[in-house]
Amino acid sequence: MEKKFEIKDLITVGIFTALYFAVTFAVACIGFIPIFMVLMPLIGPIFTGIPLMLYFSKIKHFGMITITSIIIAILMFITGHHYPIFIFCIGAGLITELVLKAGNYQSIKSCVIGSSTFSLWMLGMVIAFFFGFREDYFASLVDGYGQEYVDKMMGYTPTWVFFAMIVMCLIGGLIGGLLGAKVLKKHFRKAGMA
Amino acid sequence: MELGLSSTSDKGILKLDPRTKLCLLIAISIIMVGGKTVGVEYVLRVICAAIPFVLLLTVRHVKSALIYIIILGISVFCEGSVIPNISGAPNLILMIICGIISRFVPGYMMGWYTVRSTSVSEFMTAMDKMHIPYFITIPFSVMFRYFPTLGEEYRSIHDAMKMREIGQSVKNPFTYIEYVLVPIMMSTVRIADELSAASLTKGLSAGGRRTHICQINIRLYDWLLMFGALAMIVLFFVF
Amino acid sequence: MIEFKNVTFAYSSTNADGKSIEQGSISGIDLTIQNGEFVVLTGGSGCGKTTVTRLINGLIPHYYNGTLNGKVLIEGNSVPDTPIFETAKKVGSVFQNPRSQFFNVNTTDEIAFAAENQCCEPAEISKAITVTAASMHIEKLFDRNIFELSGGEKQIIACAGINVLSPDIIVLDEPSSNLDSEAIEKLKAVLTDWKSQGKTIIIAEHRLYFLRELADRMLILENGRIAKELTANEIKKLTADDTEKMGIRPMMLPEIHCSHQDTDIQGDVLLLEDFRFTYKDGKHGINIPRLELPASHIIAIIGHNGAGKSTLARNICGLECRCKGTLTMNGKKLKAKDRLHNCYMIMQDVNHQLFTESVRDEVILSMTDKSLTDKQKAQKADEILTQLDLAEYADTHPMALSGGQKQRTAIASGIASSKPVIIFDEPTSGLDLAHMKQVSDQLKKLKDMGKTVIVVTHDNEFILSCCDHVVRLENGCAAENCSLGK
Repeated sequence: MEKKFEIKDLITVGIFTALYFAVTFAVACIGFIPIFMVLMPLIGPIFTGIPLMLYFSKIKHFGMITITSIIIAILMFITGHHYPIFIFCIGAGLITELVLKAGNYQSIKSCVIGSSTFSLWMLGMVIAFFFGFREDYFASLVDGYGQEYVDKMMGYTPTWVFFAMIVMCLIGGLIGGLLGAKVLKKHFRKAGMA
Repeated sequence: MELGLSSTSDKGILKLDPRTKLCLLIAISIIMVGGKTVGVEYVLRVICAAIPFVLLLTVRHVKSALIYIIILGISVFCEGSVIPNISGAPNLILMIICGIISRFVPGYMMGWYTVRSTSVSEFMTAMDKMHIPYFITIPFSVMFRYFPTLGEEYRSIHDAMKMREIGQSVKNPFTYIEYVLVPIMMSTVRIADELSAASLTKGLSAGGRRTHICQINIRLYDWLLMFGALAMIVLFFVF
Repeated sequence: MIEFKNVTFAYSSTNADGKSIEQGSISGIDLTIQNGEFVVLTGGSGCGKTTVTRLINGLIPHYYNGTLNGKVLIEGNSVPDTPIFETAKKVGSVFQNPRSQFFNVNTTDEIAFAAENQCCEPAEISKAITVTAASMHIEKLFDRNIFELSGGEKQIIACAGINVLSPDIIVLDEPSSNLDSEAIEKLKAVLTDWKSQGKTIIIAEHRLYFLRELADRMLILENGRIAKELTANEIKKLTADDTEKMGIRPMMLPEIHCSHQDTDIQGDVLLLEDFRFTYKDGKHGINIPRLELPASHIIAIIGHNGAGKSTLARNICGLECRCKGTLTMNGKKLKAKDRLHNCYMIMQDVNHQLFTESVRDEVILSMTDKSLTDKQKAQKADEILTQLDLAEYADTHPMALSGGQKQRTAIASGIASSKPVIIFDEPTSGLDLAHMKQVSDQLKKLKDMGKTVIVVTHDNEFILSCCDHVVRLENGCAAENCSLGK
């Protein structure tokens, strides 16, 4: 940590995290339509990328995006998500922090990449479907149905879907980041606000 | 938008310390997601599923408590009696839906209870008492303060779009999103500036210690519940 | 004692091209404020009065960047060299915008906030809160959600927070901008109380009438310099003509006299029927069975906060679908949905109704006539912009404009929409005399175009400058409906 956080930084973190979280929440509401649920990791980051890019443009110090990821993790946890969310959020936050730092917190290119890596936290919400949860759940059915049935079920929800989701997140984040950069240039630079 | 914690101190029958709620959340989160449906773990699961129901009743959220227990009942019934009797795609879909409900909904409901029964100041005081550093607590309180503002901003922008009749005429979804998001983002920047200035003149300082007028205490039943939560987690890992 | 010694300050900011620029604010200010003095700073927008308040509470140079020369001292200690955390113990601040000066959601937390930051004992804070509550009569505001309070109540909460910590110096930056006359009376009572406690008060304001008996000294700033200094006696003697000449708002609240009960309206009439609407809380709302308004006139809607002014405006505009009322205009009966096509509202915060990337696009966005080509639209837009003195800003981003220019941009889009009714919600909050007059001129222009203008306002000076007709609301009902006696 090169410089201590100032109040302004912390308030920026709070306000933009709130905005980011609210947009995520709004997009998640669309996700209740089943077809969109599968595409969530792609659609979500496209929308959230826009406010995220504005947030990135306000970041000047090391650590702010990591704090955002910790806050999102705590919020997701107290609203009932499961503990792997911590690993994913903080992991995504740290990676993004490094990406932004590589661009000295100024390069637009690294902001766009950062928007892509930051979206990976969303996987923390679905991780339980693919690993721990699935095997335990099927295992609990073994007694009644036999191994054959369990194998069949595992086949229906292949693990590669999870990796497809990672790719969707990254691409969604990238598109969101580019859109955000466009909005920044079109509105905020022109209005002298960024 | 009901995203934030409640704004005023609540009047429930049983007033738990936020830290107790956190312990219970952790226990429910661990046990519900991984537990098998047999033996000791089954008993633990039943207890964990019952906790949010009882707690919601103590804060008079009778409606959500009832909805919760009905949904949970249906999914448990399906898991036990319907799923074994059907096969193919319906079986898979039903199983996934029931699986999600029976494993995740108790956690969500506990989260809902925590959010609805804790005021922002209680939450902040609890975080301070748990020695969570200022660079987490300050952004957190700003967030809770900003959620309602976001709601207000969104409503005004929505009104303006309606009044200017641009909601319907915009065909491109991205243009629509731009029209909604850009004004919100603009005022976010402005409010961040003004709020920072106001907070500084009220003596908020990074890293400085502060006191709380809000009193939270760990009472006897808090200890009991925390101990119970811990015992459940231990039991869960032993078996 | 507060001392300014030859203080010059320029804000640094970035312009649209990303270059950093310096914007001069105040230059060569010499000022000494004695303990217990009540000083009013006034002058047109951008005269530097806000800068002076920021120098006292330390926001300059600790928060706003720029070049500062000269000395600012409180009791001999240099403010720029004191951490703002320390200055906060001695100087309390109230800001213009009640919406963005709160850190908490709960009123009691907010009142205690400043004291908590100074690490006062919780028991002592609670005691101070009880005392404050009794002296300010605000018990009923405790433990409430701040977002449910009116602007006036929010300002009172801000004052209560200061009372708990009880600093010696209090600076207020246009605290009355968003308040109605009743709330201003409450603010005045708080200020009177502070003055009697011997606190030093510095207040930057446009509206001056409520400070007449309180002010010990009034400074009129112009272009960053103190242009005129008035003593308490001189302030009390100021007549409306004097203040007019000085370019400041009058020292007396002008009364609005209705011409008596000749309710017959000449010419066309807008007829409102069955305007009944209640908010979800069941308390606030409007109940207007029948109301006749003169078409092509400027109609002011007045009344206290919570009387239903804004609700009526929203309903006339058609923003509340649940309202079953009808508006009859030119022989046509308009329901809520139809009214949206006929009414245009300029909101109190115009930032919410500007969407595009240039002023011209903003105006074009309102033109719904499909028969026009893009070129014709642009031409028409430029005509409208010229009328409103905005032609040179046609390509500027609306958010880069000043508040008044933004408002004119919104008016321009209103004209472009060719809707016959234009509604303003508090168009003059926080405006100085010159800008207020500018707004009233624009309203008159709209009237000359044949538009019906409805203004929700609590600014009496503004009403007298341009309105023809007044509707006074009380508890959601129309208590008075008359033409304005000249």
